[in-house]
Amino acid sequence: MTETYLNVRNLNVSYGKTIAIRNVSLQLAKGDRLALIGMSGSGKSTLAMAIAGLLPKQAHIEGTIDFAGRRPKLGSDIGVLFQDASGSLDPVMKVGDQIAEVVMTHLGMSWISARVRAAELLDRVKIPKALSRLNSYPHEFSGGQKQRIALAAALAGNPSILIADEPTSALDTVIQKHIVDLLGELVKDGGLTLLFVTHDIALASQQADQIAVIYQGEVVEAGASGQLLREPRHPYTKALINTHISLDRPRSKRLPQIDMAGLQ
Amino acid sequence: MKTLNLEAKIGAILLVLLVLMALFAPLIAPGDPLAISGEAMLRPFASEAHWLGTDRLGRDVLAGLVHGTRTTLLVAFFSAAAALIVGSIVGTLSGFLGGLADIVLMRITEAFQTVPGFLLALATISVTGPSVPTLILAISLGNWTQAARVTRAEVLSLRERDFVAAARTLGMRPLEIAFREILPNAFGPTASLAAISVATAILIEAALSFLGFGDPNRVTWGSMIAEGRTVLRAAPYLSIVPGIALVVTVLSIHLIGRGLSHTERLQP
Amino acid sequence: MPPLASFFLKRLLTALPVLFIVLVGSFLLLEAASGDAVDAYIARSGTLDAQQIAQLRMEWGLDQGPLYRFEAYVTALAQGDLGWSTAFERPVTSVIAERLPVTLLLMSIATGLAFFLGSLLGIAAGARPGSVRDRLLSTGSLALYAVPGFWLGLVLIVVFAVDLRWLPIGGMESIASGKAGLARMADIAVHLVLPVCALAMVYLALYLRLMRDRMAEIWRDPFVKGLEARGLTRRRIVWRHVARNAVLPVITMLGWQSAAMLGGSVVVESVFSIPGFGRLAAEAVARRDTPLLLGVLLCSAITVIIANLLVDLAYGKLDPRVRIGR
Ligand SMILES: Nc1ncnc2c1ncn2[C@@H]1O[C@H](COP(=O)(O)OP(=O)(O)OP(=O)(O)O)[C@@H](O)[C@H]1O
Ligand SMILES: [Mg+2]
Repeated sequence: MTETYLNVRNLNVSYGKTIAIRNVSLQLAKGDRLALIGMSGSGKSTLAMAIAGLLPKQAHIEGTIDFAGRRPKLGSDIGVLFQDASGSLDPVMKVGDQIAEVVMTHLGMSWISARVRAAELLDRVKIPKALSRLNSYPHEFSGGQKQRIALAAALAGNPSILIADEPTSALDTVIQKHIVDLLGELVKDGGLTLLFVTHDIALASQQADQIAVIYQGEVVEAGASGQLLREPRHPYTKALINTHISLDRPRSKRLPQIDMAGLQ
Repeated sequence: MKTLNLEAKIGAILLVLLVLMALFAPLIAPGDPLAISGEAMLRPFASEAHWLGTDRLGRDVLAGLVHGTRTTLLVAFFSAAAALIVGSIVGTLSGFLGGLADIVLMRITEAFQTVPGFLLALATISVTGPSVPTLILAISLGNWTQAARVTRAEVLSLRERDFVAAARTLGMRPLEIAFREILPNAFGPTASLAAISVATAILIEAALSFLGFGDPNRVTWGSMIAEGRTVLRAAPYLSIVPGIALVVTVLSIHLIGRGLSHTERLQP
Repeated sequence: MPPLASFFLKRLLTALPVLFIVLVGSFLLLEAASGDAVDAYIARSGTLDAQQIAQLRMEWGLDQGPLYRFEAYVTALAQGDLGWSTAFERPVTSVIAERLPVTLLLMSIATGLAFFLGSLLGIAAGARPGSVRDRLLSTGSLALYAVPGFWLGLVLIVVFAVDLRWLPIGGMESIASGKAGLARMADIAVHLVLPVCALAMVYLALYLRLMRDRMAEIWRDPFVKGLEARGLTRRRIVWRHVARNAVLPVITMLGWQSAAMLGGSVVVESVFSIPGFGRLAAEAVARRDTPLLLGVLLCSAITVIIANLLVDLAYGKLDPRVRIGR
């Protein structure tokens, strides 16, 4: 039994009158891979961003988030990958510099060694000719490549937790698969703790060894992914599985359109 | 209308006061403001009869200030209005007609932008001679280009919209569509340029009359500043007081403009 | 073709029609005023008999049609001949060549100051939109933006030249000081302090606001959240990312601002008795010297076109998303 690494207790988040997260508690051990699934608007992103500490100002947060006895630090404890990759890269700065500045900030390296490290990271996320692409700008890369670069930047401060909020849903299916495989590989190799937000139950079972199902801001069911898929207890989980969402289907058909009235 | 913020309210109050001052100038300060009314070079607050003192020739500063409001507001509002109207018409035509007409009109707009507005006004005045109508013409000549550009951009985005297509199927003629359907809709963003245009016009008018190219038969703040300049060492207030009036007027317009503009972007 | 050359060619092709329109406009002004010019000339040079007047009218092409005069005007222009200044009794070209450098110097210092200080203060305001500091700076810039340059010049003269006696009251340099080299440059610098301030303040306010508003927009761009997520310091996000992104569109304003500043230099140079290009415009009007006035108009149009060209060139270098010549 590994010790608890990231401990979220009684978390409540509200935006004015909208309550987005109700009394959620989560424990993650080092190396755990947890997928948050649920339908649109259920509060997955809010939960993930609350843990990262990236909620907008108007969000009201209660509860504790504890990482090895303190609040986790962005960049060096937690890396974050967003849905829209171009939305996390500065359009007018060379990608090499964007990665290197994270390295400098968190690892205290000199500029030169930070650039070398940036090249290594670009190579690890499988950008071809990494060294020469350090001086390229975000608009000179494809969407999938931009997401890889965003991943490299997220990992540049050597965080031990990676939070990925639907990192592939803006990409088309083939590229989705590449990114998902890369993510899995990096997480495994680096022994990272992964918090993966998705709509896609197949993707969740493939990427994560634990799944938490969120419905209207509450974790209604959580457990090992195999177990949870085989014996879902909550009607919402059953409904999710029944829609047979899989990576092979076109994205438009995968969004769970579930009639919740029958489940109450 | 949406509620105004504090800044815009202050601006609006100031502007209303200025307009009242302009309207009731003959009551506040009766008589010809250019006439000599007392001892020369009285300091402000030194005499009951001349609150703000008198100038080099013994003309009342307060009277000049009050009557100057008239010239300033008259010239500024009419030239800004003319500039906006001409600009929106050119912009609408350019955006709606497209093709060669668009190219020609935009080149003309660019040519007007390329010549500094103040120099254009100066040159026009040198041909027409200074009077209120020619000042209005001269100032609006260099002031319409931005309205044309903004309207054109707006029209280009509007002409693709549904109601224009609807008007087309109803069999309206292109120009009819342009002016009956598109122009009124494009006017919103153009109107937020109004504040900038009015402010620019005030400043150009002031600068022209400061240089002595204003209407010689009227008091203007610019000419008062120029008058005072000749005795700048002895009586700096003669230049400073009308300048403060100018700053307050322009500021009130900027405050209103910023309060009204939704994006706060057009208004620097 | 190398990208830079094709860029210049393309710009030249769009600038030519614009210049041509300015030319036609100038010519129309000349036509509207030319009668006056001869009269003014006659008035100044005193007694001219009828034959001399006729001679003069023929020389100026007044006995021919307007098209003939336009052709003559353009032909002369193409040879760099802007006509004869009646006020200075010299070719317009030589008068302008003498005056333009002064104004360009004044304008470039004022632009540099306004852009540098204005952007810095704009960053200070835009670093935290809505903060007390932002509100103070924004309101201050709005007030400053309402101050006419010529009046500010007078106020500066009253305070710094008349009362405090720190700086000279006007002129470009001390008269007959016999200074040379560095001492002369220092003398000119001292003389330019107040005019530069009077000319620059409005634009300082303008750049402050532009920079601040752009930064407020950039903060809402999603990529800023990405930067925060990487744990970069706020200082770094403000200076290296938000300000860097915001300054690019502000730079594009520099070109058109040169037109407004040329206009502003007319009054500021008059206030400070600086023998520059701006004051030349006022003198041309006051002395009814139309050829000179048109020369001034044309040269300022060319100055503005060149300024815009330089700005676009710089912008192409600074914004990686724009590649010149492509
Ligand atoms: N900035 C905000 N202001 C107000 N309400 C918000 C804000 N962000 C999210 N919400 C609300 O909080 C709830 C949860 O939103 P959240 O973005 O966490 O959902 P999600 O599960 O990530 O959905 P999706 O799958 O569509 O990304 C929703 O009801 C949403 O409307
Ligand atoms: Mg989400």
